[in-house]
Amino acid sequence: MIDRVSGVALNTFRESVRDKVLVTLIVFAVLVMGSSRVIQPLALGEEAKIIKDLGLSAITLFCVLISILVGGRIVYREVEKRTIYIMLSKPVRRWEFILGKYLGLMAVLVVSMVIMTAAFYLILLVLGVGAPLYLLLAVLMTLFELAILTAVAVLFSSFSTPITGAVFTFAVYFVGQMSRDLKLLAAMSPSPVVKAVSYFCYYVLPNLANFNVRPEVVYGVPLDPSALLLSGLYAIVYTATVLLISAVIFNRREF
Amino acid sequence: MLTEVTPRPKVPGRAGPLASILPAVLIVWGFVGVYLLQLTIDRAGENHLREKAVAEMAYFPSGRFAREAAIEFQSLAADLIWLRGIQYYGFHLMSDRKYEWLGHVFDILTSLDPRFIGAYHFGAITLAWDAGKPHEAIDFLISGMKANPLSWQIPFDAGFICYMLLHDYGRASTFFEVASKMPNAWFILARWAAIAKAKAGDFLTAREMWLDILKSTENRALKALVVRQLKNLELSEAIDRLQKAVHRFQEDRRRLPADWNELLAAGYIEQMPAEPYGGRFYLKDGKVLTTTPPSQRE
Repeated sequence: MIDRVSGVALNTFRESVRDKVLVTLIVFAVLVMGSSRVIQPLALGEEAKIIKDLGLSAITLFCVLISILVGGRIVYREVEKRTIYIMLSKPVRRWEFILGKYLGLMAVLVVSMVIMTAAFYLILLVLGVGAPLYLLLAVLMTLFELAILTAVAVLFSSFSTPITGAVFTFAVYFVGQMSRDLKLLAAMSPSPVVKAVSYFCYYVLPNLANFNVRPEVVYGVPLDPSALLLSGLYAIVYTATVLLISAVIFNRREF
Repeated sequence: MLTEVTPRPKVPGRAGPLASILPAVLIVWGFVGVYLLQLTIDRAGENHLREKAVAEMAYFPSGRFAREAAIEFQSLAADLIWLRGIQYYGFHLMSDRKYEWLGHVFDILTSLDPRFIGAYHFGAITLAWDAGKPHEAIDFLISGMKANPLSWQIPFDAGFICYMLLHDYGRASTFFEVASKMPNAWFILARWAAIAKAKAGDFLTAREMWLDILKSTENRALKALVVRQLKNLELSEAIDRLQKAVHRFQEDRRRLPADWNELLAAGYIEQMPAEPYGGRFYLKDGKVLTTTPPSQRE
């Protein structure tokens, strides 16, 4: 089983690395981080904060774009190129195919993040604003966030077209960031229907705000390790559940 | 000739009946796990909620920076900050009633969307009454008047704060007069200008003004604030009425009344006013006080 999954994952990784979208996004991310050199004179004493904010946000934003744009067509591409028939004629279970695709894409994201983070630290060192390792915590939490988002992208990719999948994934990302407002809406709304729907969405949709520790990390505010651990566990359980749904849907598809 | 044959890989077997329901069971349990984990995360976070709510606002950039950063989505960014600001206000209203960052939030909001009249209106009233910063509220409204020179609401609010809190009736009258000359101005504004000029703040006028504010707004938080102020006003009015009766009694009889019944029997008050918070009035060294402490007044 491990061989089959890793085979699909390796193939997905190789295929995605050749993708122009991926290279373009990584280059753009590095350019955006580098542009903090231009902002530096305008920051009026807040350059260290702005450079760190910009760098960490660029890593998150571009990795989210990679996850949505590359992940959104990861299964569809196989269908479009008819390579899915070759793949499914092999002794590979469909869920192994989905898991392999997911792991391949995650490997792409990890490599992209490593490149971007290295560029970020290099920029911090060149600009001389200090490069504390504590900032890596924000990158790690972003990785958990991406684990969920990529699983969602693979889910939509398993039954929809790339554009529809990307739009749906982006919608989930957007709502996931606003989950606290959903809970507030549920608490404040006098309507029991709105309350029930809001609470349902709050607990069923991914709560991506759990993973945003960028403001705290930039200010060097100590974080509660148990909260980080719980968030990591949340990401693992959520990702496993979404991948299971993807596998069930993909299993029922007829080619 | 011998040909080497690679053994055919074993094709995965067919799933049994139990295996078909297993994914559904696992998915349900997955969501149960997600729900329980989120509950734990929320519970752990609640202890730090206050610090976080304050810290969050400190992380908010200045209005000018936010304006540049929001590019073409300034109005949308203002709307999101409006929602977050109301959340911040509501959180502190229900907890410690300290509104350290309220002015900052409304500054960002109106920098992003300088024509957001509702934000000036709500921001100034809450800054003046809840945060206890009437001067900051007036400055905020003056910046709003510069951005919205044809709005009657902003000078009206400035006049209202000058009248009610700063007791600067001359300035209040000027603001009301300015407001009354704006297009589509509220018809009662000219009357308020005259009242502010003539009167030095009595309870009846104050109540009428608050009631007009109540009628003019759809904002639920603002309506709740007006209701609280009306209740406070009722209490102040009752204390004032009793205090005046005690003074008259003292002047006539050269002593303090033994209790409220003596005041009633002697006709200094027609009936005992109700204490709006359910407490009772008492006399201490000739001063009328209530058993409801200020912290328990809504």
